[in-house]
Amino acid sequence: MDYSRRDLADRLAAGYVLGTLQGPARRRFECLLPAHPALQQAVASWQFRLTPLSASVAPVDPPERIWQGIEGRLFAGAGTPPVAAALPWWQRLVLWRTASGLATAAAVAMFVVASQVPPPQAPIVVLLGANPEAAQALNASFVASVSADGRALVLKPLNDLSLTPGRALELWAVPATGAPRSLGLVQAAGATTLLRAQLLRDTAAFAVSVEPSGGSPTGAPTGPIVSVGKLQL
Amino acid sequence: MATPRSEWSDRSEALADALARIALGDRAALATLYRMASPHLFGVILRIQPDRALAEDLLQDIFINIWRAAQGFDALRSQPMTWLTSIARNRAIDSRRRSKTDVTTVSRHTAGTADDDEVDLLAALPSGDAGPLELLQQAAQARAITHCMGELSAEQQQCLALAYYQGLSHAEVAEHLVQPLGTVKSWVRRALLALKDCLGRDAAGPALEV
Repeated sequence: MDYSRRDLADRLAAGYVLGTLQGPARRRFECLLPAHPALQQAVASWQFRLTPLSASVAPVDPPERIWQGIEGRLFAGAGTPPVAAALPWWQRLVLWRTASGLATAAAVAMFVVASQVPPPQAPIVVLLGANPEAAQALNASFVASVSADGRALVLKPLNDLSLTPGRALELWAVPATGAPRSLGLVQAAGATTLLRAQLLRDTAAFAVSVEPSGGSPTGAPTGPIVSVGKLQL
Repeated sequence: MATPRSEWSDRSEALADALARIALGDRAALATLYRMASPHLFGVILRIQPDRALAEDLLQDIFINIWRAAQGFDALRSQPMTWLTSIARNRAIDSRRRSKTDVTTVSRHTAGTADDDEVDLLAALPSGDAGPLELLQQAAQARAITHCMGELSAEQQQCLALAYYQGLSHAEVAEHLVQPLGTVKSWVRRALLALKDCLGRDAAGPALEV
């Protein structure tokens, strides 16, 4: 079946959002969704059309134990480190990297190559792997080279990125603790060179998010984090 | 298709802000989001999964999922409540498939006098004026869909309501209405086409974004 055919995509998406698409067909549709922008668009359109129907459903206050259960499952034992899956995304980088074996191997290889260069001027190479949780928004991997003095960074996409008009990619330096800081907008095609005073200071990872064309309006990432790479010094 | 952020309500902004902070691992933001959204989502879930214990488990799973998936929320693609409701409905529909609950609730809302036997599904829909939707943009969308649902035949309305509110499959809708499966499928298909056409004609919403 050709899922790029518009009327078919629209019919399937309507059934999916309405709920009549069920069983194996629903599961199959959900598997196809991440890889088919036409399906995603059709689903988003039907959600936009049908979700107002939900507005008439009378709210029901859930019992207090539900929230306690959520807190218990996510933040069990306050004070102790939360379970891995509840960690903020930049602290989960190790997990992601092991999840994508190829990317990890590539990152290690690049790091080995980089560290064989005579130490004084060796740039630091960081591979920013695609974030599988945001693959629906954009599947994007980058390689960042940072000069050893931490004052210059060159970021290159590793795959072809088709970015929606009116949106931009923003690069973030992510500290081990605290909020990410913006390093500015980067190009979707070709290399972007950034000159900053302290690129590496307190930086545990670099991340790229999709933002409105002028960049994040809030100073923190507002769109999906599409790519992340941990710094290994 | 999305509502431009400049037209969002304060509530949508607050929800989007909470989601952005959740994506950064902010626990307090999850509590805020839960307080704001859980009664609505619980109501939606209970319609699809009437088993109270299962529905409670679902709500818990959904918020754990939201904690993990918040970074995938894209404010340019959808409003926060649309995103949250879609997650909740998908989970609830999946749980129905597994538990195969019997249909106990019926989407019959009798309007008017007691002997008025007419099925009035529109009674379940928000009214055009204020109603449950204090928000201008949402109210406009709700008005549009109320109007467009009104253009459908009674059978078409009933099919859509059973499928959307209770998560019934074509076969279950057919069983419920005691109609042949093929008839129900064609009612649903035509209803969706008519709805799409009517909403496009009336609202002429923002252009599709890819």
